[in-house]
Amino acid sequence: MKVFTRSASARAAVGLAAASAIVLSGCAAAAEPEAAQEGFEGQTLTVWFPGTNQVEIDLVTGPLKDKFEAETGATLDVTFVDWGDLSTKLNAGFAAGTAPDVFGHGPAAVADFAINGRLEPLDDYIAGLEQDDIDDLSAALPGGTVGGVQYLMPLSMQGNLIVYDAADFEEAGLDPDAPPTTWEEVREAAEALTVRDASGTITRSGLLLPSQPIGRQQSFAALLASAGGSQLTSDDLESAFASPEGEKALEFYTSLFSGDDAVSYPLGADYINAPAAQQPLVLDTASMTMQTPNGANQIIAAAPELDLRIMDAVPFEGVDEGYTLGGSGPGLILNADSEVKDLGWAFIEYMISPEISAEYVQGIGGVPTRASAADTDYVQNSPVLQAFVANSSNFLPNPNVPGWVQVRDALDKYLEQALNGVTSAADALAAASPEIDSILESAR
Amino acid sequence: MSVNSVPPAATSTVAAGGARPPLPRRRWKRQHVVGMLFVLPAALYVLTFQFVPVIYGLVLSFTDYTPLRRGGPDFVGLENYAGLLTDPEYGNALLVTGRYVLTVLPITVAIALILALLVNRPFRGVGIFRSALYLPHIVSLTSVSLVWLWMYSQNGLVNEVLNLFGATDQLWLLDPESALNAASAMRIWKALGSNMVLLLAGLQSIPNELYEAGRVDGAGRWALFRYITLPGLRPMLVYVVVMDIIYLSQGFAEIFILTRGGPLGSTTTVNYLIYTEAFQYNDFGSASAMAFVLFALIIGFSVLSVRSLVGRQK
Repeated sequence: MKVFTRSASARAAVGLAAASAIVLSGCAAAAEPEAAQEGFEGQTLTVWFPGTNQVEIDLVTGPLKDKFEAETGATLDVTFVDWGDLSTKLNAGFAAGTAPDVFGHGPAAVADFAINGRLEPLDDYIAGLEQDDIDDLSAALPGGTVGGVQYLMPLSMQGNLIVYDAADFEEAGLDPDAPPTTWEEVREAAEALTVRDASGTITRSGLLLPSQPIGRQQSFAALLASAGGSQLTSDDLESAFASPEGEKALEFYTSLFSGDDAVSYPLGADYINAPAAQQPLVLDTASMTMQTPNGANQIIAAAPELDLRIMDAVPFEGVDEGYTLGGSGPGLILNADSEVKDLGWAFIEYMISPEISAEYVQGIGGVPTRASAADTDYVQNSPVLQAFVANSSNFLPNPNVPGWVQVRDALDKYLEQALNGVTSAADALAAASPEIDSILESAR
Repeated sequence: MSVNSVPPAATSTVAAGGARPPLPRRRWKRQHVVGMLFVLPAALYVLTFQFVPVIYGLVLSFTDYTPLRRGGPDFVGLENYAGLLTDPEYGNALLVTGRYVLTVLPITVAIALILALLVNRPFRGVGIFRSALYLPHIVSLTSVSLVWLWMYSQNGLVNEVLNLFGATDQLWLLDPESALNAASAMRIWKALGSNMVLLLAGLQSIPNELYEAGRVDGAGRWALFRYITLPGLRPMLVYVVVMDIIYLSQGFAEIFILTRGGPLGSTTTVNYLIYTEAFQYNDFGSASAMAFVLFALIIGFSVLSVRSLVGRQK
């Protein structure tokens, strides 16, 4: 059973006190939950989780809530808030002083909350974890930091990898057992896989990368990193994408959709958020698409007859490592104004404990945050999860900087112009750079 | 006005009518208080939830404010308004909003007028016909937009119908040339019902004697329409046009669902930009300034419409 203490010494003290109490009373007090002895009885913790995934709602508001309440004696008041409403409601909550004690959010939102002093740093709490725990979570923790301070505790990992249809590969004379290992090879394979009708319109895309709003920036970020570039400078103060690597990445991206040898269609369509049964791989309107682990699992469930496989993250030629966008997924954040911070941390610690973390990610079909989870049956029995776990070091998060949402949208605007042929890749990036530098400066 | 005094208007009305004597002062006072109590809940609602937020919004437009920051808004004077003058995205949003209004308004009013003339005649099933035309109005704009999003998709109803006639698939919402027109078509369909009902009410308020007199004088159908229907319909037409300008200028839900302001900003209306500025970037000061400029423009164009339509009548 998990003990909710901030340090090993505190845990020992609590254990000693509990043992003394058992001896003194001579009763069956040992059967009581350990954390209930820490003074959380009667306290109420309000928690907002993002999303409307019914499986997650049932899991969190059901067994996970019950177990936490039994262990702590506290009352857990959980509310699930639709992603689209989350920021609006949190803003109103913070302005009115009614924000929840703990709330879930994506890493991209953390910096703006942190710079306004709304979040409680978690570093001291994390220091109280055992070193094995910290090591086990080491891949997930960096995604929750802003300026080196931990504010978000990820509950799952995110990633994007290309899922391809092995039958289409064979039909096109490609070997599905030897998938491309560079973006240039991916492009060649995509050309062989692309099917056109008599008018020349693509009826099956060889490769589809997300090109809808937000998706554009994410695709570009993956290509940029795979070309050896980065979105911001290492100190996160200025943009760094207006570089030869950036131009190479954006020219590659635009070439997928434009010209006589285009391999992707249509530009701007949001296939990522389409239902599994409407996914291009299922409809046979694409042979390779970028997918999240959840997306890949849902597609496989919707079309079990397809032989779908997952490609490792690939670099451009001459670059050692390929990257895609990913890293820490949504996690839990502690409100700096909470009056029950220790209880809040107790809940966060509960959620990241090996047992509960495994139950949670398995319930939502996510990628575990703990390295040790790679050996669990949940991962071992799923080729999709195995592939994503194996590529976890190649998932690169977006920068956690104040004003990131505005930076992302500004970059997205110029990427869209390049993709639509309004401007060249070099001009688009050159025009985006000063605007983004200005946003970064004003957000600091 | 003091509650103890009898309003001159009330006194003169009763005296002129001569139907009943003036109310005793005490009874009048009690009626006055009861009346005010009846109005009070609605007045409080309007004051608290409509008037105060509008005033607070106006105040915010002169400040730098994000709800995440501790402390209140910082006064920045006209900085937010000055910023809008040089903001190309706001300029583009104004143009898009103007184009949206000018596309939807004349078409929806013209078609609604034709439909109103059509359903103003008695024929079998006219009730069903009227109800069917009004149906889109009572369905929420969000729900309607979701349905049209599917209809406009690559494998949606619109392309399927076009395919029957040998036409190729169109990317209605992904092409900057067609996205706003596609959204406008949906909005025209949505606005038709309410406009038609209002214009129908206007048509039915025109005395039939005028038409009979016109026919006696030898007026044809066009002359009856031109010299009796249109002038008689003018008050309702003014109302329909002004209300359409107000609603269309604030177009948001359909844009949010259909295009999210894209592609290439071709459907970014002012309201969508305000939403982005306030709820994505947490810049409530700038968003409020955008809202009040839009507010001023809506008032300006509404007054202009009223004056041009009513002025012509004079």
